[in-house]
Amino acid sequence: MTSENKLGIVIGGSLSGGIYVRLDGEALVEDMAVGRYVTIQGKTKRFLGMITDVSLGVTDQRLTLTPPAADEKFLAEILSGTAAYGDLKVIPYLVLGNDEKSLLDGPQPVKTIPSHYAPVDIASNEDIEMVFGKEDASHFYVGNPLDMETRLCLNLPELVKRSNGIFGKSGTGKTFLTRTLLVGMLQKGSCVNLVFDMHSEYGWEGTSEKKHKVKALKQLFPDRVAVFTLDGESSRKRKVSVDFEVKIGYDEIEPEDISLLRQTLNLTEQAVEAVYQLRKYFKKNWIKEANNIGDEEDDKKLLDSLSIHESTFQNLKRGLNTLTRLPFIVENAPVKAVDRVLEYLNRNINVVLEFGRYTDITAYILVANLLTRRIYTSYRDRMEQAMAEDAAKPTPLVITIEEAHKFLNPEVASRTIFGTIAREMRKYNVTLLIIDQRPSGIDTEVMSQLGTKITALLDNEKDIDAVLSGISGKNELKGVLAKLASRQQALIFGAAVPMPVAFVPREYDQSIYNEVSRKKISTEEIEELF
Amino acid sequence: MDNLNTNRIGEVIDTSTTDFTAQSYQLYNTPALGALVKTGEGENTIYAAVYHATTSSIEPGRKPIARGQDAASEEDIYAQSPQLSKLLRSEFSCLILGYRGQGQICHWLPPRPAHIHSFTETCTPEETAEFSRSFGFLNILINSELPVPADEVTAACLRQLAAAAPDKQSFLVKAGKELARILPGQYQRLKVILERIQL
Amino acid sequence: MSLNLDKTALQIQSMVSDLKGRDLEHQKHLEAGLNGMKRTPAEYQHLLDKAERSQTTFLLAHPEEIPDATHPPPALPQSYRILATDGSQIDVDRHQLSRCYLINIGRVRLEYGQSPSAALESLPALYARPEDMVISCGSKEVAVEGTLLGIKRSVEETRHLAEMADAASPNLPTLALADGTLILWSLLSKEFPEYVVEDLLVNGYLKYLGKIQNLNTKDRQVALASYISYPGSTDVVNTLRLLYCPYEPADCTSQCDQLPNGKRPCDILSGVTDSMLFERILKPGERSALFASSSSILEKYYGEHRVYFYYLKTSEEIARVELPGWTARSEELLSLSHSLILEQCRLGHGYPVSLSEAHEQAVVSGQDRRIFNQLVEEMLTASKINPSSSAKSLSKKTRWV
Repeated sequence: MTSENKLGIVIGGSLSGGIYVRLDGEALVEDMAVGRYVTIQGKTKRFLGMITDVSLGVTDQRLTLTPPAADEKFLAEILSGTAAYGDLKVIPYLVLGNDEKSLLDGPQPVKTIPSHYAPVDIASNEDIEMVFGKEDASHFYVGNPLDMETRLCLNLPELVKRSNGIFGKSGTGKTFLTRTLLVGMLQKGSCVNLVFDMHSEYGWEGTSEKKHKVKALKQLFPDRVAVFTLDGESSRKRKVSVDFEVKIGYDEIEPEDISLLRQTLNLTEQAVEAVYQLRKYFKKNWIKEANNIGDEEDDKKLLDSLSIHESTFQNLKRGLNTLTRLPFIVENAPVKAVDRVLEYLNRNINVVLEFGRYTDITAYILVANLLTRRIYTSYRDRMEQAMAEDAAKPTPLVITIEEAHKFLNPEVASRTIFGTIAREMRKYNVTLLIIDQRPSGIDTEVMSQLGTKITALLDNEKDIDAVLSGISGKNELKGVLAKLASRQQALIFGAAVPMPVAFVPREYDQSIYNEVSRKKISTEEIEELF
Repeated sequence: MDNLNTNRIGEVIDTSTTDFTAQSYQLYNTPALGALVKTGEGENTIYAAVYHATTSSIEPGRKPIARGQDAASEEDIYAQSPQLSKLLRSEFSCLILGYRGQGQICHWLPPRPAHIHSFTETCTPEETAEFSRSFGFLNILINSELPVPADEVTAACLRQLAAAAPDKQSFLVKAGKELARILPGQYQRLKVILERIQL
Repeated sequence: MSLNLDKTALQIQSMVSDLKGRDLEHQKHLEAGLNGMKRTPAEYQHLLDKAERSQTTFLLAHPEEIPDATHPPPALPQSYRILATDGSQIDVDRHQLSRCYLINIGRVRLEYGQSPSAALESLPALYARPEDMVISCGSKEVAVEGTLLGIKRSVEETRHLAEMADAASPNLPTLALADGTLILWSLLSKEFPEYVVEDLLVNGYLKYLGKIQNLNTKDRQVALASYISYPGSTDVVNTLRLLYCPYEPADCTSQCDQLPNGKRPCDILSGVTDSMLFERILKPGERSALFASSSSILEKYYGEHRVYFYYLKTSEEIARVELPGWTARSEELLSLSHSLILEQCRLGHGYPVSLSEAHEQAVVSGQDRRIFNQLVEEMLTASKINPSSSAKSLSKKTRWV
């Protein structure tokens, strides 16, 4: 521990409440930031912790009552660091080295605290590397801890073992984070991805803040990514290389899909009930048949027999019309989109489904839910078969959905396939990557099932509470979270990291392209892109 | 007598564990308040700060009387009565702050007091800088019980030491911080001393 | 036993009221004296003649000019020097075996003007050899103690004055100043053998006066004077008595012997001292006329050092300044003595500062005496010589209940 880095000494605290550190006279309070890491050299153990609060204190109350006047600069200089001091609150997370167990197994979670007056230092790059690991085949560089040069690396195989979430209020960079994470998963995640790309950001290309175009998955991994689109025209206009145009046939839509759309289609409860009745009656072609129901006597009788009220039916009809008006909803789809998706996934090719112009939430919820239901069923069957026959299991699938609270709010979480997937964890090798700006809208049980959360700035108390619920040291992390910058800073905690990290995500730029592509991109192509 | 050390300014006439008094060789030529002086030599060199100086009649029973109502200047008074300089003497008292033991400067009281008639000398800037590299002596200064307020002497001493330091401002800041450390809960006192040492 | 202050106070009280009564008488006598001074030159001449021819029981002064002449203070030289000495002694302790005596001389040299400087020192001399204890002539000897020791001290004071004067640079006009009379009365009054007078006066005191005298050249001025504070002398008044004496010439023993004091015609002037007279005559800073003292020992021994005197009105008092003839008769040296002594009194707040400093240097306190005795005892003990102290001195030294 060099003296240049020495911040101060431990003067008090507890394991549950955090360690209090008195700053050295030379250390500047203003250089301390919540979210930064420090190491504490105890007598027998070395601790790694995060600064969660910074405060000022005085040895004598009189200093507060009669502080130095504005022009008493000399007095102020003398007092700061001596009679007027700075304190840090540090949450210890890990024990590093200096301890047989951790030497063998790596950093261990803390069970105790350092002794009085243990010296405290800014964590070194080596310490961080020791904790988070170096970049290698399974560790992907996502960014840098605050004010550090060290590369923060995520253990991606660990990450995709469970469902994860990316949160932050709008404009904080969730899209970039997601894109970066997807690149990582493609590279090192040993999984296959299905992305429901509402704003067409992840497939071929996306837009940076400065309105530059950035390369997206297919451009980076041309032979491992397929772009599907709901809006062929839009994709063609944007010169996206499309592998399949998705059309959904009437007969693919099930009552469960309608039920999920109840709010967006303004359907009454009875209308949803009616759907179930109609399906039961008309079987697969229920939508077509339902459309054909008019004002005839027969029709009325039919409705009666199904116990469907006139007004309910009208309500339903209106809703259905909204749906059927969608250009990609057709009576008969030549090829079942689901089958095609599964085909690609089974070949370990990642699929990104663009929505083009159809950024309406109705379209999104319908398509995502519809496709996922069937894909999940397929995976479930294959897993059960594999386990029975002791054969190869399907490659783990990660499904990325945005506006997750629409799918996973308490009201519908129990009924959607996404709720099921989240709860079942990786039972059938399917996990979610949910992106959302209103985590308080997401069912708490689902939230608790998320393995790792990456969150950018949130300013709503409820959202913050939702994201941090169930985490130890929640109150301290709250402070860190609230102080994140509005852009380019995020907090990651959970199964994929040994301890929470506040970090600056890496830039999504040439460095990623270089890393990914086997051949270097020529200057012209870059200019073309920008 | 020209090859005598020109730093020699007086001779010890009273001595104790904590301080000593010296008579200055020249009338009125006492070192400044707070100045660092030394007495003794080699391993017995004692360092002290001047805390008090006086000029008075050599004879305890004879008090000076005013002479100069009609004199043109103070100098005139002495010119008119040349015996005055023989009948007065100047003394200065010094608080011991440390000594040289085993070649190193120690900032605590020496084992034995100075000798009567040992020479008192001013310290060179190098010696002063060496002495004030660390601040252990501040404790003695602050806690001393002197006829002169300890805070005044402390401030005077720091001003003198700062004058010999290579970087005055940084020395004063270091000294100020040390004072803040040894005077916890005495903010008012600290403030008063700091006001007196800032440049 | 302590003094009974109550009883003493009453007596002081009655003394004061007595004094008041006597004061009126005294005023009359003083007026008579002042009158006596206002004579015409012819009357003065007559007075002098009468003085020559008279035989008085009191000492007369011989005026060198009209007695009521006054002289304003001359200008001070720009730079000048004062030398002064004073002495004290620790007498032989009769109760100690180790006979010795200590003479402590205080010496002062003050230079004023261009480059003021001062030197003050005290020089003790311990006399312990057998030959120092006595003044001898052949087989006869007299112990040096008491009065003789005092005289020896005066001689030493003068010797040091001469030494200082000799050592000083010649370029500053110098006044050597002594305290008390220049006339060694006690040497004669006790009727010491001639060889003692020879030793102390002729070969001592006067020799040193001569040394100082010989330093004077046309470029170098060294004056000598002595200063007597609060003089009680009446030489001048005595001379005025002759004015009131009806006899021609006066012969006190034969004419007025049987008359008690106060009943003689000239007793109209009794109680009047010279200083009372000159207090009224002189203005501040002025000196009186020069008078010659007419003591017999002066005629016999003093020669050129025959003592003259004048009275000086300082800011505080009338002082009597005595000078050896060679100083008195030199206009320069006489003026020097006047201006310098006046200035010394001004600087010394009524008494010459050089003399008071010399006194400070010389004075031996009671404690000093005790320490001296103690020191002698210790050193004797250290070298195993047995000091014997008489019981009386022991009981005097230690305080006991």
